[in-house]
Amino acid sequence: MDLFLQRLFDGLSEGSVFALIALGLVIIYRGTGHLNFAQGEMALFCAYCVYQFGEWGVPIGLAVFLGMGVGFVLGAITEVALVRPIAKKSPFAVFIVTIGLFQLLNWLDAAIWGGQNRPNTALGDTQRIYPSIFPKNDDDNWPIFGADVKVFNILVFVLVLVITAVLFLVFNHTKLGLAMRAVASNPESSKLVGIRTSTVLMVSWGMAAAIGALGGVVFAGYVGAVNTGLMFTVFIYGSAAATLGGFDSPGGAVIGGLSLGVIQTMVAGYADQWVGDTMKVAVAFVVIVGVLLVKPSGLFGTSKVERV
Amino acid sequence: MKPATTTNSGRPRRLLAAIRRKPWFAIKSGGTASWVIRLLVAAAVVYVVVWVPTRGSGSLIDTCTLALGLMAAAMSLNLLLGYTGQISLGHSAFFGIGVYTTGIFVTRWGWSPLQTMPVAFVVAFVVGALVSLPALRIKGVYLALVTLALGLVFPQMMKWKKLAWLTGGTNGLDQTGYKFDKDNRTYEIFGWNPWGNLRGENSKPFYFWVGVGIVVVVYLICRGIVKSRMGRALVAIRDNSTAASVMGINLALTKGVVFGLSAAMCALPGCLSTMASGTVTADTEMITVAASITFLVIMVVGGAGSLWGPIIGAAVFKFVEEKTGGWTEAEKIPGVIRPLLSWSDVAPGQGIFAIALIGLMFLAPTGIVGLWKQTIARFVAVVPKPAGTGTLAAMDSVATDS
Repeated sequence: MDLFLQRLFDGLSEGSVFALIALGLVIIYRGTGHLNFAQGEMALFCAYCVYQFGEWGVPIGLAVFLGMGVGFVLGAITEVALVRPIAKKSPFAVFIVTIGLFQLLNWLDAAIWGGQNRPNTALGDTQRIYPSIFPKNDDDNWPIFGADVKVFNILVFVLVLVITAVLFLVFNHTKLGLAMRAVASNPESSKLVGIRTSTVLMVSWGMAAAIGALGGVVFAGYVGAVNTGLMFTVFIYGSAAATLGGFDSPGGAVIGGLSLGVIQTMVAGYADQWVGDTMKVAVAFVVIVGVLLVKPSGLFGTSKVERV
Repeated sequence: MKPATTTNSGRPRRLLAAIRRKPWFAIKSGGTASWVIRLLVAAAVVYVVVWVPTRGSGSLIDTCTLALGLMAAAMSLNLLLGYTGQISLGHSAFFGIGVYTTGIFVTRWGWSPLQTMPVAFVVAFVVGALVSLPALRIKGVYLALVTLALGLVFPQMMKWKKLAWLTGGTNGLDQTGYKFDKDNRTYEIFGWNPWGNLRGENSKPFYFWVGVGIVVVVYLICRGIVKSRMGRALVAIRDNSTAASVMGINLALTKGVVFGLSAAMCALPGCLSTMASGTVTADTEMITVAASITFLVIMVVGGAGSLWGPIIGAAVFKFVEEKTGGWTEAEKIPGVIRPLLSWSDVAPGQGIFAIALIGLMFLAPTGIVGLWKQTIARFVAVVPKPAGTGTLAAMDSVATDS
């Protein structure tokens, strides 16, 4: 039972990072119908920025907010400068542009901060380890039903719940949220009733990138370092989580991310002899393909009506 | 991808349009001039292809062999994505099927590497056709992610300890290529050696020729499909799959065959890479998802939905990568752009290509080939053959008479 609880919270904290990336993807997809392939790399860039702020002596609490700010600006600029002009041509072109952005950001990170793990004392960094927003020492445990669960895991899980609640409130109880939902359901009509759709879309991209940035910082803190390959796998899991939950449902993205993390950890933990560490990826994806075959729009997604 | 429509606002645009309306030359398709141009282009291509293995240095031949592999892989993706509109980010897995089929058959059962290529073709065809089953229900973004999952799972599966008896697990396989030495001169024809300097240990030209063979085969398959009834069915599926199925196209069958063929063609360069490198590991970059993205980028930069696009894209990609590979130190960067790039000690190839990709999407969504066609159309007009004079005229007249 102890082991089960520990694994459950391991899985939940891992899944929380997937959920944050997935949330970003879903917010963008609801707004403009595009898959932002650069979501993970945007988060990585912000994670690098947070590390850089730490080098300059900014405390981690503030650095995280600054990093999210960088993410917001990055997302908003992307929407205005790259996505909007090209969206008129074709949605496929937007997908390609986000792939280009993915490669550009990845190269930029390597060009600025180098290919090795950062922080790296050998390269003259003052920080010994990537700043974590939550305590992450070996003896920081809280007892839950008699099991020692890491504080970090619990707090990350709580963080995602809080973010989800805030997003729920924003979507359902503010004017901005109402405008975002209106643009998602019918862009032309919302323009006609006086919603500034371009601003709304810009804000959605910014929000998505900021939430992703938070995910990146949490994950880099969990790993203890940041490198150029850090976020790609996380992005794939995040997109898988969004697929599982349905690409237009924020709640689905969170549930998808959390369950993906739990499934993975449980399978890798309990079927170690058979599955092992390498094949836990496969188990998660088999589940997803299975779900998609039964329900092509994901668990909580709405299916589209086709018109010729 | 639909071509960008130009709006006629403002004077400069109108001027440009006026220039465009009157090209300087007109060439009749099928006329003498057009044949001369075709022959010249063909001669240039043949010259380059013969020059590289016979006169080029060893590293140049290696680079060109890699470029040939990329060409074939990007062409196979082009058939699926450029013509049929089915996005796939899992082509690295099909490439990997080629890599591992050759590796396994050579090391476990002692086959000759070239003999394993038909096997890889069939295996990849079956796997590709199976992947098309979810593609019948899943579309767009979801399909991209399912195929991405395939690309991600494949290398992990090859490392799986339960399959290690076959794939070698994390260690991979060794000695998967030909062993050329002075005693093994299998590929000489009556003492004459058409492959370049094969005698001794220099087997590079041989692999180059295998690469050329693969590219030619893949090109011919693509051309045959695209210019046929099936090719038109593919474009119909891309443009509007519901309408296509209403018009009597069997979606399941067509998608299955295209997925299968695309996968099978992508496996061939995989076989080549196994032969040429002589080792197989699951961590090779070419069988990870990064390679899928490379194929996609090459295809789009060259020109999606055009036969020559991926070939040109792969050549340009490899050229840029080779040229900028050494730009890690400021002294090696050419003087003009040195101030732009000297602040970093990472090779700028990826960044340059990414910027080029984004820029191309704005300027010419149909890639380099599309850009070339747009530019050349200002100077030279190609007059198509009048209807009813082509090789299909006889069949057409039969069809209209009845």
